[in-house]
Amino acid sequence: MRPENYEAQRQPPSNEYELNFGPNHPGIEGNYALKVKLHGDIVLEAKADGGYLHRGFEKLMEQRLWIQNIALVPRICVPDPSPMELCYSMAVEELCGLKVPQRAQWLRVMQLELSRIAAHLFTFGGHAATTGMYSTMYWGVADRDLLLDLFEEFTGGRVYSIYNIPGGVRRELPEGFLQRLTETLDYIESRLPDYDNLFFKNQVFVKRAKGTGVMSREQALEWGVTGPNLRATGLAFDVRRDDPYLVYDQLEFDIPVEESGDAWARTLVRRKELMESIRILRQVVEILPDIHGPIRAPIPNPLAWNVPAGETYTRVESSKGELCYYVVSNGGPKPYRVHVRGPSSMHAVQVLEKMSVGSRIEDIAQTMFSLDACPPEVDR
Amino acid sequence: MSQQVAHWLDNLLKEIEGIEVRRKSSRRVRVDVPADALPALLELLQGRAGYIHLSAISCVDWIEDDEFELVYHVWSYESHSLVSAHIRIAREPGVYLSVYDLYQPAGFFERDIHEMYGIHFEGSPNMEKFILTEWDGPPPMRKEFDSEAYINEHLSWQEYNPEWLQELVAEGGGVIIPPEEQRFSQKKK
Repeated sequence: MRPENYEAQRQPPSNEYELNFGPNHPGIEGNYALKVKLHGDIVLEAKADGGYLHRGFEKLMEQRLWIQNIALVPRICVPDPSPMELCYSMAVEELCGLKVPQRAQWLRVMQLELSRIAAHLFTFGGHAATTGMYSTMYWGVADRDLLLDLFEEFTGGRVYSIYNIPGGVRRELPEGFLQRLTETLDYIESRLPDYDNLFFKNQVFVKRAKGTGVMSREQALEWGVTGPNLRATGLAFDVRRDDPYLVYDQLEFDIPVEESGDAWARTLVRRKELMESIRILRQVVEILPDIHGPIRAPIPNPLAWNVPAGETYTRVESSKGELCYYVVSNGGPKPYRVHVRGPSSMHAVQVLEKMSVGSRIEDIAQTMFSLDACPPEVDR
Repeated sequence: MSQQVAHWLDNLLKEIEGIEVRRKSSRRVRVDVPADALPALLELLQGRAGYIHLSAISCVDWIEDDEFELVYHVWSYESHSLVSAHIRIAREPGVYLSVYDLYQPAGFFERDIHEMYGIHFEGSPNMEKFILTEWDGPPPMRKEFDSEAYINEHLSWQEYNPEWLQELVAEGGGVIIPPEEQRFSQKKK
């Protein structure tokens, strides 16, 4: 879709025209584009165009040591990097038969849920901005920053924490961290009524989002949609509960669902999920001090580590849906193949194309942000 | 997956010839089938066992065996289990059937595999380029494609040594932030 590749064509007179929506457009999430065919302002056809963020992760991973890839994987999805680390680590652990210590598992849950809250706050901001409400975006990003402070403190990295390694986690918690975590959680929770007034109950947003980008449960299942987008159609499926990993089976949390399947329902599901993540984190704060022991299992010399031959498919619930890694080892020092199945590869491509048809041009951004599409996951 | 369901699934899968079923854990089943039996297997899994969600299609290039391995991961929302169906196809000509009629998500994965490995899926709705729009080299995920060699052949290296970097190196490199100026020691209390 670069200008030099795009030739102006003489068309017969018609009310139909083509428009390049993105890659540099405030209404598009990340570097991504939709090529839309319009009649007036109604979309007749939409074609997703990705690749602007392709960095060749899967090829790069085949060329690096097992341990080096840990620094690579979180970069696949910027807003929600933690599940990437975990999913890859889980795959290596499964191939090696490593048993992760209890304490490390709880620390991982803490990291994942913090990341989920941060990702949802980010999404709310972007989504609100599509209806012209920029204040929510400023708030969301500012509040997310408090979580990034926590990440910086306990992992050393604000965005790419690189906290998980195969076998466990890298660091023990700093002194007094759980207290500071509780304070931040209290603060985020205290902010939610303000968010409700500014965004979730704001008629500017509600009227735009209700009935926009509707997807029925049957369509969602047929199109392979997962995560909050599927739950917004009324199906309570969550990898954390239905295909449990780490210690999620020991935690109490609900799976919020909505029935209407539109942009409004998807946003509400995320709003409720944020509360559930806070609830999970509170349980972690309560239980973690009583769990002692090592934070990682001993691994061989990571620079001369030949992971036993085999293949595994690991799944994690990221803030956007089902995230999976298919990892193959041929017994060598580097992975033979790593396939990343980002949740957005479904709802940012085929689903978005289908849902855009028949909608109005101004609703494309609304639909895309309500789906929480993450183009870097698609491009990898 | 309950014992009963597992047993039932095993019996169901016996209907296909040449199939090999391995239970890896309570929620993971590995199935190896001959390539021509895969559509029948998926139809059976989807229609009679509730595996309605195609989670992914993964491709592995086994260059030494001169074969591609395609892995279809399907999930059942009812029995909460994942079946990974493995098939092998010849590297040349690298052609296989699309399963888009059964699972719509296949459209994306097949297009991706086509782009990265050059496998053609017959009957897939869209085999156009998606990620590598302006790429005219060989499919890059194939094992014989050496990205470093490609770069050395097609691109040139550039010297990058600006003044600020030279100064930094002359000072011994890196920047030291004293503890009292670090973000956390500042913020607390």
